[in-house]
Amino acid sequence: MRLFKLLVPILISIILIVLDARFSYLDNFKRFTLTLLSPIYFVVDLPNHVVDWVNDQGSEKAQLISENEYLEGKLIELKARLQTYNNLVLENQKLTQLLDATYTIPEHQITLAHVKSISQSRLKKQIIINKGSKDGVRNTQLIVGSDGVVGQVTLVTPLYSTVLLITDPTQHMPVKNVRNGIRGVTKGLATNERGMSVEFIPLDSDVKLGDIFVTSGVGTTYPPGYLVGEVSKIDKPPNEAFLTITLKPMQNMDKLEFILIISQKND
Amino acid sequence: MTKNNSLLLLTKITIIALIVGAISLPSALEIASPFWMLIFFIYWIIYTDTKALYLFALILGLLTDILQGNILGQNALALLISSAFIFNVKKSFYVSNITTQQVYIFIASLIYLIALLLTHIAIQGFDFNWLILLSPFTGSIIWPAIRLFLAKLKH
Repeated sequence: MRLFKLLVPILISIILIVLDARFSYLDNFKRFTLTLLSPIYFVVDLPNHVVDWVNDQGSEKAQLISENEYLEGKLIELKARLQTYNNLVLENQKLTQLLDATYTIPEHQITLAHVKSISQSRLKKQIIINKGSKDGVRNTQLIVGSDGVVGQVTLVTPLYSTVLLITDPTQHMPVKNVRNGIRGVTKGLATNERGMSVEFIPLDSDVKLGDIFVTSGVGTTYPPGYLVGEVSKIDKPPNEAFLTITLKPMQNMDKLEFILIISQKND
Repeated sequence: MTKNNSLLLLTKITIIALIVGAISLPSALEIASPFWMLIFFIYWIIYTDTKALYLFALILGLLTDILQGNILGQNALALLISSAFIFNVKKSFYVSNITTQQVYIFIASLIYLIALLLTHIAIQGFDFNWLILLSPFTGSIIWPAIRLFLAKLKH
């Protein structure tokens, strides 16, 4: 009887693992439960709220503080926009040399969010942000910081969202080399806190140390042109069909405070 | 301990374990940190008498999975197996000195880690940060402090 009492919940756990790993039937249940648990994030962030509140109360220049916060957000937004434009300028120069091409600059809507918590799971690299479905955040949206891509929204509750970082091993993102347009797919590295690799780039491809990779826009999930990483290591394995390329993310994930949620204009 | 007191303690322990687990730490510390829910739950197993032990282990494991964004059932399975071990050595644990208790905590954490990694490897492959192997050590080291804290909480 005692063994039966143990085996039943173990069996339930195994069934749940299989269902959750292979299918998405449990997503709504997870979202609902996470919504109920979201006060936990508030409690964890409470000391920060208290410090902010005390600072605000103690200052006679509340207006200036508020303005400063607004400008800080605006600055990050502009830096993120600049990433796209820098890339477009480079591509435009290349294309102009080849033919009289015209460019349509991608129009993206940007929402500023605050990082509440960084990676509370030892097997996943993720962050929690203070914007949720009430603010129009949806699954699969791209998240960028002031220096480059941060990750992708994977779970949304009314008040908070979970963002899987690009350095997580389960995160794959189509990218291209800014210098010559060679395409590949990034994959995070669990063994390296600040690294990822680029897969599916043939051995004879022209990739150099210091090359910059940006989102390619293939598959329409990720808008094109956002900085992803810089090549820090290239290996040519003798019996492999593809290069082993290691990227250093442009965005330092340890210094994240504000991030931007990118959505297409027609979303 | 009465049934109501036992449930009250479990509620407190669950909330504290979830909060402590959600606090952001530097990444290396985070990966090597103890399995908070397991350590807190062990205290509850040892000092209370309940027939629904495995049901509570399943529920708490699922809550941990959801809050940490893991695959549903991963922590639940690990917590169930570790709880079964602790339940079997409960009497010995209760009368042991602190060092022996730390050894039990280490073994329970190791069982938890193995169960967690086996499911992780089965689903995502052999790709994890090696610092996670330190978790059983940190769990057993921190046990005396946790025990003291929870004893205060119990009263």
